[in-house]
Amino acid sequence: MAEVKLTKLNKSYDGGKTFVLKNIDLLIKDGEFTAFVGPSGCGKSTLLRMICGLEEISSGDLELEGTRVNDMPPNERRVGMVFQSYALYPHMTVRENMAFGLKLAKMSKDEINQRVEEAARSLQLTHLLDRKPKAMSGGQRQRVAIGRSIVQEPRLFLFDEPLSNLDVALRVQMRQELARLHNRLQTTSIYVTHDQVEAMTLADRIVVLSPLAEGAETNLEQVGAPLELYHNPCNLFVASFIGSPKMNFFSASLLETGEEQSRVKLDCGTELTVFNNTSSAKVGDKVTLGIRPQDVLNHEEECGAGNCITGTIETIERLGNESFIYLKHPDIQEAFIVRVEDSRRREPESAFRVGVPAENCHLFNEAGQAYPRTRSPRFD
Amino acid sequence: MAMVQPRNLKYRVWAARLCMILLLCLVMFPFLMIVSVSFRSGNFATGSLIPENPSLEHWALVLGIPWEAADGTIMQPTFPVLTWLWNSIKVSLITSALILALSTTGAYAFARLRFRFKDHLLTMMMILQMFPAVLALVAFHAFFNKLGNFIPWLGLNTHAALIVSYLGGITMNIWLIKGYFQSIDNALEESAAIDGATPWQAFRYILLPLSVPILAVVFILAFITTIGEYPIASVLLQGADQLTLAVGAKQFLYAQNYLWGDFAAAAVLTGLPITIIFLVAQRYLVSGLTAGGVKG
Ligand SMILES: Nc1ncnc2c1ncn2[C@@H]1O[C@H](COP(=O)(O)OP(=O)(O)OP(=O)(O)O)[C@@H](O)[C@H]1O
Ligand SMILES: [Mg+2]
Repeated sequence: MAEVKLTKLNKSYDGGKTFVLKNIDLLIKDGEFTAFVGPSGCGKSTLLRMICGLEEISSGDLELEGTRVNDMPPNERRVGMVFQSYALYPHMTVRENMAFGLKLAKMSKDEINQRVEEAARSLQLTHLLDRKPKAMSGGQRQRVAIGRSIVQEPRLFLFDEPLSNLDVALRVQMRQELARLHNRLQTTSIYVTHDQVEAMTLADRIVVLSPLAEGAETNLEQVGAPLELYHNPCNLFVASFIGSPKMNFFSASLLETGEEQSRVKLDCGTELTVFNNTSSAKVGDKVTLGIRPQDVLNHEEECGAGNCITGTIETIERLGNESFIYLKHPDIQEAFIVRVEDSRRREPESAFRVGVPAENCHLFNEAGQAYPRTRSPRFD
Repeated sequence: MAMVQPRNLKYRVWAARLCMILLLCLVMFPFLMIVSVSFRSGNFATGSLIPENPSLEHWALVLGIPWEAADGTIMQPTFPVLTWLWNSIKVSLITSALILALSTTGAYAFARLRFRFKDHLLTMMMILQMFPAVLALVAFHAFFNKLGNFIPWLGLNTHAALIVSYLGGITMNIWLIKGYFQSIDNALEESAAIDGATPWQAFRYILLPLSVPILAVVFILAFITTIGEYPIASVLLQGADQLTLAVGAKQFLYAQNYLWGDFAAAAVLTGLPITIIFLVAQRYLVSGLTAGGVKG
């Protein structure tokens, strides 16, 4: 088990011309389960491969358990990794696959057997020990890949989208197995995923990465506990990346600033009160108002202080326990999505006044940085 | 694969078989001729395919056993054919093994390592290889002649010199193996590295076992080329005891007297080691070794 510390980590190609990762500062505590999320191509895998030594670090420091390991080859780092493609050794049986690293470490036969069988038991692989990978299903291969790294008892587990090749049901099951595994072993783990649900449910902390923009200081957007990122995204990128369906954004300008609450005017003319600290801004500044589909109120009567936005219903997705209503609104190009529990009275083409509680609003300045929220959110 | 097949496929299968049989006849005929000549008494190139009065005289002479002809004269074997055969096998086995070792390591460098001028080096080797090694005969001769003055066992008329001169021709093999290595997902070796394997261990325990089929192919090709090679061997080797079978067999055909029968027996003998090597190596020519390693 180990603490991982990244200091000003950079990765560039072509001798420093094209950067993929820039100024990544991160401290992963002992035993913590951290998820890296971000859109495709933002460098999640690259960062993971730098941590295990498969990719060179262009500059910056990587510390494992307090020692700088930038130049340590991967075979000496004692880090376990589960590849997205599993990367099982096709010419070896499951048993040999799992024992490979232990044999290289010159461990005694008895101990190897004991460790392999124990791992196989915990991953329900015992009956498959003498099979070759090609005679197994995706989920079974996945478990072998995990088993292969746990028998080594590494200081750190790295997972690169391990569940992305599995079907939905199996993914849910494997997710729970991973959670159980982490509870039992308490090994520091880093988990790369596309899937927000995986990140939100498995991780103690989430690291949001973005594709490096031209001239940006860093592409590490925010680090925090799952709900922290959900409720207090520090900028527009995180706000739109975390949560599904996506947060709705309206362009607006500030009418009143304040430490406790502010007033904004949407471009369409609607005025709203929001509980955000805008003391750093001036009246008239351009801002972006964000509201999650789940955070609006269905009942127009209840909208405190007349905080309402009106749109025309375009389509309704009825899912049974909930419905998503897609509204046309002049300030939003795609659709203003709201979630309601009861959509029986709603018909397409009719107008819908949606309550927007002041404490549920997110507010961002022109550069995309969030104004702090001053009240805890309210639910329907 | 048990695919459902249309009815008329049966006729096509038969047509294909017929073509195969014709092709086989074309290939087999010269071989049968040679075998037939080697069992025919006297030294005649032409005659019926099944010898009228079969005799083992050529085989006996080639295998070094004196032969008592029907009229009572004893024929002594003219040449140490078995020694030549042994020379051929020895040279070919050592050459093939060395070629395998050199081209595997070379291919690994080209497939997996990063170094300057890699692409240039590859093309340059390819271009150089386009000139037949025969064109360098004079160079080989002069080179080993000089070298022999300092290192006697590597001079003219030694098998070591012959082997060294054969090792130049590994470019094609490097290309073959390199292509195969590149078809094996690098993630396997990366995952071995994570498991604690040094690059050498990953090469030895992961990449090599998965490449066995191509290694077998390269070994067979190298063996066939070497055992049949004539020009270089005929220049570098001179002593009667040092010759390889390919060079030696030619001695049966001197201008005044063509010993077709003995020549044919020696030729069949050359094919023997190739057949054996092929039968042994065939076990390793399996496909699907890398199945199931990556992705579900
Ligand atoms: N040799 C290279 N030269 C330049 N850019 C490269 C090179 N190799 C990778 N990249 C870039 O690095 C970026 C990060 O790739 P990486 O595989 O880490 O993305 P990722 O976040 O894991 O994406 P995904 O979610 O699709 O797996 C990509 O945008 C890719 O274009
Ligand atoms: Mg990736």
